[in-house]
This record gives sequence, C-alpha cells and structure tokens, in this order.
Amino acid sequence: MSINQEVDALRSVPILRNVDVGKLRLLAFISERVVYRAGEILCQQGDMGDSAFIILDGACAVEVETGGGAQEVAVLKTHDIVGEISILCDIPRTATVRAKEDTQALSLSKDQLFGLMREFPEVAFDVLRVLGRRLERTTQELAQMQGRS
Amino acid sequence: MERSLYRYIWRYSARRQIVILCITLLSFPILYASLELPKQIVNDAIGANPQTDFPKEFFGTPFGQVQYLLVLCFSFLGLVGLNGIVKYSLNVYKGLTGERTLRRLRYQLYERVLRFRLPHFGKISSGEIIPMITAEVQPLGGFIGDAIALPAFQGGTLLVYLTFIFVQDPLLGAAAVILYPFQGWLIPKLQKRVNQLAKQRVRNIRQMSDRIGESISGVSDIHANDTSAYHLAQLTDNLQTNFEIRFAIFRRKFMIKFVNNFINQLTPFFFYSIGGYLVIQGNISFGALVAVLAAYKDLAGPWKELLTYYQQLADSRIKYQAVIEQFDPPDLYGQDRILADPDFNFPQNGRLKLSNVTYEGEGSGQNVTGASVDIAVAEKTAVIGGEGSGRLQLLQMVSGLLSPSSGRIDIDATNLDTLPESVLSRNIAFIGPSPHMFNNSIRFNLFYALYHRPMRDPTFEEFSEREKAFREEEARQTGNIHYDIRSEWEDYEEAGVASFDELEARAVELIDRVGLGDDIYRMGLQARLDNIHNADEYKQLILAARRTIAAEVVSSSDLADYLDLWSPDHFNQSASLLENILYGVPIDSKFTPRDLAASPVIKEGLSQAGLTDTVFEVGKSIAEMMVELFSDLGGDSDMLNTFSFIPPDEISEYGALLQRLKSNPSGISDEERAKITSLAFMLIPTRHRLGLMTPEIEQQVVKGRPVLRRLLGEADAVPVAFFERDAFNDTMTIEENLIFGKARLDRAQARERLEEAVSSVVAEHDLKPIIMRAGLSFSVGVGGSRLSSGQKQKIGLVRSLLRRPKLVVLDDVIQGHGSVGEAELLKTIIDIIGPAGIIVGMSGEAGLDTFDKIVRIEGGRVRT
Repeated sequence: MSINQEVDALRSVPILRNVDVGKLRLLAFISERVVYRAGEILCQQGDMGDSAFIILDGACAVEVETGGGAQEVAVLKTHDIVGEISILCDIPRTATVRAKEDTQALSLSKDQLFGLMREFPEVAFDVLRVLGRRLERTTQELAQMQGRS
Repeated sequence: MERSLYRYIWRYSARRQIVILCITLLSFPILYASLELPKQIVNDAIGANPQTDFPKEFFGTPFGQVQYLLVLCFSFLGLVGLNGIVKYSLNVYKGLTGERTLRRLRYQLYERVLRFRLPHFGKISSGEIIPMITAEVQPLGGFIGDAIALPAFQGGTLLVYLTFIFVQDPLLGAAAVILYPFQGWLIPKLQKRVNQLAKQRVRNIRQMSDRIGESISGVSDIHANDTSAYHLAQLTDNLQTNFEIRFAIFRRKFMIKFVNNFINQLTPFFFYSIGGYLVIQGNISFGALVAVLAAYKDLAGPWKELLTYYQQLADSRIKYQAVIEQFDPPDLYGQDRILADPDFNFPQNGRLKLSNVTYEGEGSGQNVTGASVDIAVAEKTAVIGGEGSGRLQLLQMVSGLLSPSSGRIDIDATNLDTLPESVLSRNIAFIGPSPHMFNNSIRFNLFYALYHRPMRDPTFEEFSEREKAFREEEARQTGNIHYDIRSEWEDYEEAGVASFDELEARAVELIDRVGLGDDIYRMGLQARLDNIHNADEYKQLILAARRTIAAEVVSSSDLADYLDLWSPDHFNQSASLLENILYGVPIDSKFTPRDLAASPVIKEGLSQAGLTDTVFEVGKSIAEMMVELFSDLGGDSDMLNTFSFIPPDEISEYGALLQRLKSNPSGISDEERAKITSLAFMLIPTRHRLGLMTPEIEQQVVKGRPVLRRLLGEADAVPVAFFERDAFNDTMTIEENLIFGKARLDRAQARERLEEAVSSVVAEHDLKPIIMRAGLSFSVGVGGSRLSSGQKQKIGLVRSLLRRPKLVVLDDVIQGHGSVGEAELLKTIIDIIGPAGIIVGMSGEAGLDTFDKIVRIEGGRVRT
C-alpha cells in the first residue's frame, strides 16, 4: 500500500482539484487509511462531522432517516467523497454512510486540512476558487429555475 | 535558641573545643623541638670537634659522631612526622566538630519550622527559609572548628615571639608593639562598615530568593499576563544591588589588609632607626638586632592569621544572627507538641465544648468572635458559613490546627490546646479542598497518614549493624531525632489491618468507594508491574488473562479483525519495524532508535540476519519521502513536528546526505548510516503507508528473529525485553501485557474494541483490584501536578479515612450546593467512618436532614 493510490483518490476530490500534487502527497501521508467491514458505519446522520471520507476501494450505501426507517438514497464507489463540506464548516451529517462490502476509505480530518492550509495558503486559494465557481454555477441554475417558474 | 554565636558554640561543643585547644597546645612543644633540633644538629653533631666532644653518652650508651648525627637526624624526621600527624588529627577533629555542630544547628532550625504556628506561614516564604537552612549557615561549619583554637594558638605564638623580642631589649619590644593599639582601634572601625554591608547583602539575597520562589509559584500568571520583562527587571535590580554591595565589601576588606600590611612594614622603620641607633651607641649587640628583626618577621604570620580570624568572626556572627532571628517567633509551639507520644484516651463519645472562643486572623473574613458551641464527637454536625465567615478558622480550631486567641476549646474536661499532635491529629482528621500531594506515588500519598513512628525494621537492610549503630550514635550526638527513615513507618494497627497486603487492599477498596476507582484502574493499565508487593503472583494472573484473550481472538474472527497479536512467525503490521525485528522492546526507554541503530550488537545482529541492506534501503526511501514532503514546511510547523520522522532542523542535512549518496553510494560514515537505519526502525506499516514493506521483507524480518534473539541474549547488557507468549514482559505496561499485541491501526474503532476486550477479560479474571494496586504506583508529580484537583481531593480524603479517626472534619469538600455526586459522596463517607463522628463545613444548605446538629457562622459569629 503506497500513498500513490491515495493521492489519486485525493486528486479526484472536487474541492482539491487544483491543489498541487506535492501538497496532496503530504495530505495523503498524514491522513488515516481505514478498513470497514460490511455493515460497519463510517458516519452517522445527525452527528457533528469533522472528517471527510474518500472511498479507495469497495462500496458504501448512503442512507437517510425517513419516517419509516433508513432509506438508501445513493451508492458510493471508488473515489467518491463523503462530507467534503463538513470539513470546511461545522454542520451535522446529512446522512448515514454504511459499508456494503469490505471498504477501504481515506479519512481526511478538518484539522489536517486546515493545518495544510496554514502551512500553504495557496491550498486555501485553490479550494476557494473551486467553491467560488460552484457557488456561481449554483446561483446561475437558481436564477434559471426562478426565471422559468 | 542562643542569641550569640559564641554561646551557641560553647553550649554544644564546649568539650570538643577544649580538646582542640589541648591538642593545639600539645603541638607547641613539638614545634619548638623541631625548630631547636636543626640548631643542635648543626652545632653539636656536624660542627662539633670530633676529638673533644665525642663519644657522647645517652642512657649509658656511647655514641660516635656519625652515630650521634644519625640519631639526631632520625629524631628530627620523627618529630616532623609527629608534628604532621598532630596537625592532621587536629584538622580532622576541627572539621568534625564544625560539621557536627552545623548539623545540630540545621536540625534545630528545621525543627523550629515544624513548630511554627500555622498563621506564621503567611508571613514567611519558603524561598527565604530554604537557603537559610541549607546555604547561609554552611560557612559557619568551617568557622566553628577554629572558633577557640585559632585565636588561642596564633595568639600564643604571637606572645612567644613578642616575649623573645622584649627579652632582647625592652625598647625594641616597645617599638614592635607601638603601632598595635592604633591598629586595634582602626581596623574594627573599618570592619564595622563591612559588617553593615554584609547585613545588607544577606537581606538583598533573601529578597532575591523570595522573588525567585514567587515567580516560580506564579509562573502561569507571568505567562498569562506577559510580565516576564518585569520580573527580569526586578532580578536585575537585586543583582545590581548585590554587585554594588559586594564591590564595596571587598574594597574595604582589601583596604583593611593593605592598612595592616603597611603598618606592619612601618615597624621595621622604627627598628632600623631606633635599633640602629642603639647598636651604634653600643647598647645592644648587632646579633640581637638581627635576631629581633627575624623574630619580627615571624610575627607577621600569626598577626595576619588573627586578622583573618577577626574578619571571619565578624562575618560569621552576622550570618548566625541574621538566620536565628528568623526562626524565633514569640509563639513557637513547644517541642512536646510535635514529638510527644500519645497517652490520652480521646473519647469517641465525648463532647467538644467551645467557650467564648475568639480568633483574630490576619486578613478580614478570617475572624471568629465569641463562639460558644457544644458538639458531640460521635454525631453528624454541619457548619454552614460562606466565604469570609470564619468557618475555616472555626473548623481548624476544632481540629487543633489553630489556637484560639482567647477562650478555650475542651474535649470533655481537657483543654484541646494542651494535647500533643499525636493525640489531636490522630483522632481528629481535618480534610480541606486542596490537600497537599507529595512528589511521590499515589500509594505514598495514601499511606502517608500512617507515618507517625517507625514500626518495623526494613525488609531490605541497607546498612550493616555496625553502620546502623554509627548512624544512631551520630544522630544522638548532634541532637537529631533517632528514628530511622528506612524503617517501615506504616501503622497497621491504626488502619485496622495486619499486613501491607491488607493495607493495600483496604486502600483500593476505599479508593473505589469514593469514586476514584476508574481513574486508578486506568493508571494501572498504563503502569508497569515492577517492585510492588506480590508482583510475581500478579504476573501469573495476568498471563492467564492473556491466554484467554488469545483464545478469544482465535475463536472469534470479529476480535481477530481488530487486534494484531504478537507471534514469533508473524509480522505485526501495526507495530514498528524495530519491534518486529527485535521481537521485543528496548529495556531502557532512554535508548532512542538512533542509539539502537548505532549499537554494535544490534548492527551485528542485523548483519547476521541478512537485514542490514534491506533496512538501510527502507530508511533511505523514508528519508527521500520525508525530504520531499516536508522540506517546504517552516521549522516550527505543527505538521512537521507531529508527522515527520525527521526532526525539523535535520531535514536539510538529510537532503544533502541523499544527494551525496546518489553520486557516491558508498560514501557514507557509520554515524550517517545509523541515522538512516534509525528512520526505518520507526516505520509502522499500517500507519505510514509508504508501501515499503513487501511480504518478502516481512519474511526476512521474521526469519531473522531467532538470530537476533541469540545474539542479543548473549550480550553483556541485554538491551531488549523479548516477547514471550508465556512470560510477563517487565518493560511493557499491564495493558500491553494483557493484549500482547497491538490494536490494528487500519481498522476504525480498533482502540475502543481493544479496551472492551480488556475490560471483559479483567472482569472475568477479577483482575481489577490487582490493576488498581499497580495504579497506586502512579507518580503524582511536584505538588500533584499530574493529578486533577478532584483526584487530589479524593486522595486526601482516602488518606484520612484510612487511619480511622474518631472525628472527621471536612471543609469545603462537600459544598452543600446540591451538586449531583455530593450527596452520594457524603453518604459513602458516613458509611465508611462507621461509629466515628463528622463535622462538615459547607457554604450551601443542601442535604441538611442528614445532620444531627446544624451550626451557622456569619461574620465570625456563631448561631446554633
């Protein structure tokens, strides 16, 4: 297990898209790689989250609590990320993530990411740019939807 | 305490001083003889007429000239030797006398500190007291030996020489002494100023000690308020003052010496003028003048010694007085109060009667005025008062820690103030919110309450019978206490137990009941089982538990998923490469990975196992990775410090080294090799996912284990505690011994699962009390710095409960504001103390129905 696999995974995370590879290697090194067995929970809906999970291998189900029980709303596969926003701001998890099979995940903690940003402010700029563009796109879509209705 | 130094010396070492004086006087004739003998050798043996003067007869034996010469020469040698022996014995004896008296002085000073009344401690600082006892009195030791002997000896010698001069010619004698009165007047005047300066210096140094002590106590406030510069400026001021005083002192001291020397040289002027005149006139012979001049030169020696003695005397007197006056408060407790044995039967069913008790404290809110209360010892009494109501002072008086300023407190018919501490403190236990923790283990701090007198001889005798007798004799001779600190002091009877084992069991039981059990249990898990009572038995029990866990791991695939157990032919990926290679842990945690990589025996082991190059390559790859990842980070980056294998200041070094290796693979020193190898040692595969450990390498490591085991096991100082499934590893903690493996770092929640497995096996094998006993060895740090205040409070509580007092007095431990654990704690304490009584001082009013009697105090006045 070398960190190259993890670096690839990190590169596919949208908010980290523009970050320099060297910094991603550093981030991969200091993050934890964890194995979850089938049925184990990565994060629970409602808990305050302080880390994001990037699936390196395997599959996870995203379940949302409805009136009648937990409902699976999505399936996460390799390179999918959970909770990327929650490591930027303190918001409760919006869903429960459960491993469907043996899954390897990279746990990216808020402290590590912020630490990296403190050392290398350009990482923060990169993340900001992605968020900015996302916000712009979302605003445009919202405007379009309002225009149509 | 004697007010003057001479009286102190005379009182405690009079006999010895006289002995010193006698030995000194004894040395005179020997000295005189060794001066006379050369004259005889020259005149009577060598220069004599061989025909007429020989053979000489001694005791009927005839001696020829040569024989006579030899006899005299050997006698001379003998006398010189004898003189040397006398001088040696004299010096040693003087030293002994000085040290013994000094020891007595120090003991007395410290004993007085223990006899100060409590309020006095608000006026003095340990920063001043400590150097007074340790450093300030040290020079007195040297002086004491010489106190009487030196002036006697030198004075006597001086007189002898002066007499000789006077005998030659009274006029010359007069000339010799003519300036003495002048010197005798001038020098003390100069010395007086030096004395004043010496006093100032002592005051200044004490202020400095006090300020340094204060800074250390208040250091967190210094940092919190950014006042470091202020304190440095304060110290600078003291240092400047000290410098100025010292400069003034030695300018004057040397001035005195100069004046003295000058005056001494002045007298020959009189000799040459007056003496020369007398010779010219024919009144005295030339030879006599020469003899007088020679004698006068000899005078300089003793005179100088006397002067130095005088200066030393003045200095020592001042030092002594400056110290003594700090240890002589007017209201010192008598010695009996702290040392008398108990011979009073404190009645469990007695009554404590306060009659118009008044206490005048230093500050406001520390007074008690006209309190008259009647409290039954065996009942439960609540004393309710807020801060500044005098509640604390009232309770301290009831416990005998403070004496009333007026009025009295009686236990039945006896005045509490007349009882010694051995009665008061053993029957009444006062417990406050911040009990003091001594820098020792928790066990020491618990059993401390039982250390009144030595109870049993130590199990391990450090001293032989003769040495012990010597120590006791010395203690007796210097007025020190004759109790041996190395004895066992735990009073089992007081605690109601019969052995150390029972005492420990009781302590663990009480700890658990007051709610500190889990904390101590956790400390126990992280403790090592060394040197505690019954250690071997406990180790066997833990090994049995280990087998249970191992069996469970084998049978339950779930647990196997979370734990990676040690096994001789299995590479543990959640442990460091070093632990895997050694299949053990370094015995001394002081050995860093770098030390181990450089150790010849480990290098040899690696080589024999064929691992040297493999490990080196792993280290090199790690170095390359670290340099790549971390060389851009600043030196004080948190990330660097937490995650990098290489310390920040060495990253560029390693970078340069790697560059060199690229062009010249063999151009590397042994030290550099060790540095790189040590990086490999720190690698933990599942934590540091650098992809460096292949299955082949893992196999190599496993295969090398027996080789290393054999080699390291044969070394002189075996540096490794090897893993053995059926043996307890003394270097690992109890928890590590139970698991005998690691929590898998790549599984979430592995740590929690590990703790669950440990808890369940501990419960199954009933190991909790044993682990708690190991936890008692936890070192609490200076003033209990490693404990929380809640933990300190509970330890203080158990400490007092362990000695089964007849009356427990709690102040501010149960606060009465109805907080959750308090009612429970109070109930537990009441249950533990059984028939004994309790007085609870609180500021709130919760749970009052538990008490038989309620006393209220406000503004110093009591209302029942």
